[in-house]
Amino acid sequence: MELDLDESSLAIGRIERALSRIEKALADQPKRSPPAIAAPATDQSALKAEVAAVIGELDRLIAEADRG
Amino acid sequence: MADVKLMIAGRPYDVHCADGEEAQLLQLAAVVDEKARGIQGGTEVRQLLFAALMLADDAQEAKGKVDKAEPQSDSLRAAVALAESREAAARDELRAAVVREQAALKELEVARSTAVAPSAPKPANDRALLQIADRIEALATKVEQIS
Repeated sequence: MELDLDESSLAIGRIERALSRIEKALADQPKRSPPAIAAPATDQSALKAEVAAVIGELDRLIAEADRG
Repeated sequence: MADVKLMIAGRPYDVHCADGEEAQLLQLAAVVDEKARGIQGGTEVRQLLFAALMLADDAQEAKGKVDKAEPQSDSLRAAVALAESREAAARDELRAAVVREQAALKELEVARSTAVAPSAPKPANDRALLQIADRIEALATKVEQIS
């Protein structure tokens, strides 16, 4: 599947909206009472690993875009 | 001072207590009365002696339970504190990661807008961008679920 410029803008818009959802979830969290059971450490590690992987992929894309 | 008339083991007792403590005194007397009435036979003094011994036994047992529960509640408190600090640290890391992702996204947009060849967005990069959108949306769903 090939994207044209408009479709890449849509992809960027989707990323921005998803980041806003993450920010909102993190901002809302302290307002609620603490959960009875904390998220398992393995879930948190998997989440961190996924975040690191996505950042790495974005860094790679930026480097490629910089090179033209 | 207030005057209170107590009835224990069928015998009335006139006692004094601080104002406002009458109800509590009557309640305590009812506990002693219940114990004393539970003891059949013997003199009145003996009934009261056994009632006192049974109440002392209750008190000792209750104290033992509290002493036993304290270390448990200490370790539970420590576990909760540890879980809370880990959760706070994870939240901070995630927040920092979101900031980095936003900065990276901005850089990407700048790089795209200043690209020299307008007609040459690389299909591979565009596919990667679409995949990143999918992954970040999945991440957002996970974060919302654990929040």
